[in-house]
Amino acid sequence: MHEIISGLLEMTGFSIVGWETILMWMIAFILLYLGTFKEYEPLLLVPIGFGVLLANLPGAGLGIVANELVMNPDGTYMTLIDIANNYGILNFLYYALIKTGFLPPIIFMGVGALTDFGPMLRNLRLAFFGGAAQIGIFSVLLGAVLVGFTLPEAASLGIIGGADGPTAIYTTIKLAPHLLGPIAIAAYSYMALVPVIIPFVAKLLVTKDEFKIHMRKMDREYPPKHEIKHMRVVKIAFPIVLGLVVAVLVPSSAPLLGMLLFGNLIKEIGPNTARLADAASGPIMNTATIFLGLTVGATMTGEVFLNLQTIGIIVGGFLAFCLSVAGGILGVKLFNKFTKKKINPLVGATGLSAVPMASRVANELALKYDKSNHILQYCMSSNVSGVIGSAVAAGVLISFLG
Amino acid sequence: MESLQEALGLLIIGMITVFIVLWLVTVIGNSVIRLSNRFLPETKTKDTPRTGGVDKGKMAAIVAAVDVATGGKGVIDSIEKR
Repeated sequence: MHEIISGLLEMTGFSIVGWETILMWMIAFILLYLGTFKEYEPLLLVPIGFGVLLANLPGAGLGIVANELVMNPDGTYMTLIDIANNYGILNFLYYALIKTGFLPPIIFMGVGALTDFGPMLRNLRLAFFGGAAQIGIFSVLLGAVLVGFTLPEAASLGIIGGADGPTAIYTTIKLAPHLLGPIAIAAYSYMALVPVIIPFVAKLLVTKDEFKIHMRKMDREYPPKHEIKHMRVVKIAFPIVLGLVVAVLVPSSAPLLGMLLFGNLIKEIGPNTARLADAASGPIMNTATIFLGLTVGATMTGEVFLNLQTIGIIVGGFLAFCLSVAGGILGVKLFNKFTKKKINPLVGATGLSAVPMASRVANELALKYDKSNHILQYCMSSNVSGVIGSAVAAGVLISFLG
Repeated sequence: MESLQEALGLLIIGMITVFIVLWLVTVIGNSVIRLSNRFLPETKTKDTPRTGGVDKGKMAAIVAAVDVATGGKGVIDSIEKR
């Protein structure tokens, strides 16, 4: 009888359930809970959470295996069929779609098809604050090197401050793929916490009078130099010319920015390419999101996730976010010292990407201090330029460290 | 120490590159706006349609619906109540 029971236990996965497995299940349940009931980035946290659960099912062999295991003795990669046969479907998806860097640009194409460059084109000077907000990426890179991360790991950690999930994942795939799980979790978790982080940092750095800087009144006092007479033409020409120039200047940012601008172009052309834009922002992006979430989650097996580096990533990611918000705010405050046309510092706070949530949060915060001060369209300018800024920052990091 | 120097170099180069690209964004944006304002013909403002007493909110909804259905090419000539 005893032998039968022990044989039965060996047949099931119970015999190999350790404390690490149970801890990873708890992490999976927390991610699923946050995504399902707290609505924290549900489109990402639910697939990631379920991916974590799949990766940590004892005996199922669904976790993503280390790079060395899918290499042939001569240093080449196994074929995808061999990977699928030996390590299962999730490894097949990971090595085909993630390791190749395929999915983040595909998601960026969808983001482009959902992005409106109109507010940025109407307020072009605000685009600079999307640059100031990238300071979080590079300063955390510096700090992470100081505490012992290697340069590529530190760069992958710093890019969390760009508040852009696909950019963070793309950079990490290229520079430190072994950290993909914790970095993706940190990036998306902090993006979900933007409504907490922006007010927290803004209240530390912005005075009551600055919160009340009325953007529309400033526009009336100091009207813009040029009005846009042909917005449709401008919106079509802009992604083509910008894509060309940026790709020449920072070629390694081209996969992300190129796809973002292509997605935007097919949206702006209008009815003739509407089907493409609908596909890019709908079925293609949704499919990519499912595979991205599940496979990123499946990288988080107990032995990979439960270590000190993960704690460093969680702390460093938070600092990167706060510093990016602070960088944008301080950039505006500095700008205001030299100009008559003042800018509300909350516009700078949105330079960290996280479109459009950051803009909505900043707008609500401004309305708390002055009910007539609607700053959403101004925030969207620095918010969208933040997406470009973080993709360029990622391009620089990949060029130098990849 | 070498890594630290490299990280510092990346901070400087990275921030400069980001600002150069965003400066280019403003230059390209402004150039496209100026060129289109200068060389493209002024678009005619559409004649105000005879609305037949339809209130502003309904009018906006009708204009938006026609715009979407016709891909911006349709023009409302008149609206009549029956």
